[in-house]
Amino acid sequence: MGRPYGVALAIALLAGCARRAEGPPFEAATVDRVLAAVREPGARAVLVNVWATWCPPCRAEFPDLVRLERDLRGDGLRMVLVSADFDQTLPQARAFLARHGVDFRSYHKAGDDMVFINTLDSLWTGALPATFLFDGAGRRVRFWEGQQSYETLSRAVRDVLQKSRGTDSTEVRS
Amino acid sequence: MKRMLLGASRAVAATVLMAGLATADQANSEAPAVLALGKPAPLADTRMKNVDGKELSIAQARGAKGTLVVFTCNHCPWAKAWHSRIVTLGNASLKRGIGVIAINANDPAAYGEDAYPAMQSNAKKSKMAFPYVVDATSDVARAFGASRTPEAFLFDREGQLAYHGAIDDNAQQPDQVKVRYLEDAVNALVDGKAVALQETKALGCSIKFRSPKT
Repeated sequence: MGRPYGVALAIALLAGCARRAEGPPFEAATVDRVLAAVREPGARAVLVNVWATWCPPCRAEFPDLVRLERDLRGDGLRMVLVSADFDQTLPQARAFLARHGVDFRSYHKAGDDMVFINTLDSLWTGALPATFLFDGAGRRVRFWEGQQSYETLSRAVRDVLQKSRGTDSTEVRS
Repeated sequence: MKRMLLGASRAVAATVLMAGLATADQANSEAPAVLALGKPAPLADTRMKNVDGKELSIAQARGAKGTLVVFTCNHCPWAKAWHSRIVTLGNASLKRGIGVIAINANDPAAYGEDAYPAMQSNAKKSKMAFPYVVDATSDVARAFGASRTPEAFLFDREGQLAYHGAIDDNAQQPDQVKVRYLEDAVNALVDGKAVALQETKALGCSIKFRSPKT
């Protein structure tokens, strides 16, 4: 009786390891899905970053984005990462996310470029990286095109978080 | 003058999101505002080194029915994905009275793949019939307000900007292109008609500008 139990336990442990190796969800997302992620209840600030594995400034700022998410997750920051990698480099994108310890859901862009770009910000040229800051009500308050520092993003996010503390946290979204 | 169109539902979504204060904080402080429709090509007399070793300006590449300027490079996956379509359209446009010039404004220190020998190899391999030149200071790209690769600027026979933006609506899947933005604009100019869709956008690699001279 002991041996079958041991085998079953080993299988269960291996299955768990396999699930952890897959990493968090990495799903295809049109801009509508990205906006839905922005508007999901529970965040006081949302940072959307559009990146790609082939984009050196995207890769350079990535550790700071991950650090910022960890530093301010408890204060209500949600990070929405959107890879613009082509289909053939999605495995590299997934590996890149894992290498940087991204332990939350992220996305890879689907759908029309122009709609994606202009819906996030009509001033965005489409060049990567691009970062968009939303407040807890889903309003876009800042946009940056190009690589940003931890300090720049942190300052802006903390400002939004600070302002959100003055509002009713149980406010019902329209 | 017709402007870029957005679907109504997308416009509503965009309006909702842009209802609050929105500040476009352009990180690339080197780049001026993009060249406006109706304006002529800036720095059109700036001579740039072509892959054949000679120097050439945008003015010298001008065509009787219009001039196509494409900022592109060797390394960017978006530029690579569109490259054969750019070459096919560029080569065909030359035969129809449209002057064509491709410009690489990237600093090769950022990407070795964007160095001059690689440009020469790329042009030869892909059978480019039009110039592929080096913007040695990135000043021409700055003057255009170009920000990414590839990025197309099409001027009419009077030398006024008639179209700016993407090659078509699908970088990854050429067989699934629905709208050939640039080809449609070229056809309009060749036929002496107004360009219907004058500004489009697509994702792309940011131009790696050389440091400005002080």
